[in-house]
Amino acid sequence: MTLRNTILGIVTAALFGCAGGVAHAADAKCGATTGKAATGEPIVIGGIVSVTGPDNFSSSGLAATAYFKCLNANGGVNGRPIKYQMEDDGWNPEQSSQVAAKLIRDQKAVALVGNMSFVDCGANQGIYEKEDIMVIAGVGVPRDCFFQKNYAPTNAGPRVSNTKAVMDVAQTYPGKIKRVVCIAPNIPNLGEWSCSGAVAWIKKQGGDGKIITFDPGSLDATSVVLEAMAFKPDVISVGTPKGLAVPIFAAAEEQGLADKVHFTGPASLYNPDFPRAIGKYWDGKVTVDMELKAADAGTPDMLNWLAVMDKYGQASDPRDTFSQAGYLAARVTAETLLKMDATKIDRKSVTAALRNIKRFESDMWCSPWYVGDGPRHNANHAGPVSFVKDGKLVAKPVCIESEDPELDDVHAYEKTIGIAK
Amino acid sequence: MPDFTPFLVSGLATAATYVLSGVGIVVLYRAAGVVNFAQGAVGALAAFISWSIVEHGGPPGWSWVAGVVAAALVSLFYGRVIAPRLAYSDPIMRAVATLSFALILLGFMGYVWGEAPRRLRLPTDTMSFELLGVRITMTRAIAFGLGVLATSAVMLFLAYSRVGLQMRALASNRDLSAMLGVRVLRVDSWAWVISGLLAGVSGVLLADLQRLSGQALTFAVIPAIAAAVLGRFVSLPATVAGGVTIGVCEALLTPIPVIGPFRTAIPFLFAVGAMLWMQRRMTFVYR
Repeated sequence: MTLRNTILGIVTAALFGCAGGVAHAADAKCGATTGKAATGEPIVIGGIVSVTGPDNFSSSGLAATAYFKCLNANGGVNGRPIKYQMEDDGWNPEQSSQVAAKLIRDQKAVALVGNMSFVDCGANQGIYEKEDIMVIAGVGVPRDCFFQKNYAPTNAGPRVSNTKAVMDVAQTYPGKIKRVVCIAPNIPNLGEWSCSGAVAWIKKQGGDGKIITFDPGSLDATSVVLEAMAFKPDVISVGTPKGLAVPIFAAAEEQGLADKVHFTGPASLYNPDFPRAIGKYWDGKVTVDMELKAADAGTPDMLNWLAVMDKYGQASDPRDTFSQAGYLAARVTAETLLKMDATKIDRKSVTAALRNIKRFESDMWCSPWYVGDGPRHNANHAGPVSFVKDGKLVAKPVCIESEDPELDDVHAYEKTIGIAK
Repeated sequence: MPDFTPFLVSGLATAATYVLSGVGIVVLYRAAGVVNFAQGAVGALAAFISWSIVEHGGPPGWSWVAGVVAAALVSLFYGRVIAPRLAYSDPIMRAVATLSFALILLGFMGYVWGEAPRRLRLPTDTMSFELLGVRITMTRAIAFGLGVLATSAVMLFLAYSRVGLQMRALASNRDLSAMLGVRVLRVDSWAWVISGLLAGVSGVLLADLQRLSGQALTFAVIPAIAAAVLGRFVSLPATVAGGVTIGVCEALLTPIPVIGPFRTAIPFLFAVGAMLWMQRRMTFVYR
């Protein structure tokens, strides 16, 4: 056994442990649950993820792959199997455009599902709108993913997540949180935008906030932490990918800050490896936002996701929050297609049917999800927050609704379709 | 006006790791005529090996020694197996070959360890003292001390040891030194080992002080190369000054709003500025 396999084994075991070891407790249920393989004419659905490059960012697509396999083994879409083609954009906008054109124009995909990429939304907005194809994405990251008519992510996005993370700290310590620092990488359309919600929210509460962006290539995390502390914050949100967050927490530990400032972070830190990486010093001192409910919630949909991954996915496929998002994207699409006449499924009819989703409920979300015909989509804006305890991330039992002022148009639209409270 | 003092203190330890790598690059270039772009990747490998040994229950002290020794061996392997086959090729070719070696090592580290969040810890992380309002861990102090110590040791080694003398001879005229009986391969090997040792120490310290990431540590060679450029790949004192200046400037620019997020460009600015400064006479001649 190679070292890599050993490590993968440990990680997989840890993830299963995080999931509460319930993967075998349920049978995988998909589509019509006929138990018979679909044999009709395949329906082509594509997916764009980032496999090669700085990080393997494909968890959502892998979950969609597993769900569609499960669906095909259970009657498919009224007898027609889904031919799911997952393509790698290599974190490269040009490659992303090439694979989008291949899927949409050459393969005639009727929809894209489970997308998870830093570059897809910006690179392909034009083709998605021109070809009028809907993307039910697993994970949207940059701003572009939440500001286009044809792109509907099942996750909340880093801006909503950062805002919720800060709101949770403020709710836990009423009247004590007045000054917020949000740290983010200086990635265009992502870094500053991802922190703006949290800062806008604290300013609306009469407080003050500061956004610190830094070059992800910089090795000096201590300077970033010192810069944050110069603002005299009550809470610091570390809004970075998990790998970049670890040195920031290490620098904060070096300066002994855990007892002076509250530390939190968005869902990008929600990873079973994270508490162990930052160490025991942070036990009970860090909260992390979640875009979806915890993997070990033990609810029917959560158990089904784990069962689908167990039976139709690979053992090495992550069972993380991005996988949950990919599962949801595939399930939303499949259940929409199942309501259609299987002989009349084409891109135009599928786009119309997906836009017509006005309420989709799952116990993995805190509130109903929808697509609708609005100019942009950010349906997921409520979720729980977890805290680090005994080397694990433990979910708090309540959901927090993000009060990011940028969501005003989303809330207004929700009133028109009867979702807003 | 922001208070720059904490940033000055914080930047010194990072600067020390740039100095360690920069000195390794200059020593190797002087002896073997190779600009080693793999310095950062070799250091990253040392850090990952140390981390793996600790993760599997090994003693931390020996894990760092093992990491540094592994770095020296990998460096020696390149120096004995690959470098001699490129000895008579163009200097740019030799430099590009080390870049290729760095990318191979980076790919290997990505395959074995991936990019999962992890942290290399040293027992000295928990010992600390206050200096000008900044808490300094012993690891940070050791990094700075090692930077000074290693540079002094290498300078003394080059000045007073027989191998050091032979290295200086090779740096002056490689072919003539060989004809006079200097065992080129043996002296080159020493240079590769010293370079590997310095890369290993620098990699382990950087992984602890900053980030255990193959990519970040591999490309930490950039400020080290910039420091070596400031020393014209010849002068160790100038390389030390360059490394300290780059590390400290990077830290000092942090609180300046417009420039702070882009302060990693500092090494390039210094390198370009130094090259223009060094070529100023040539420019005058051409005019």
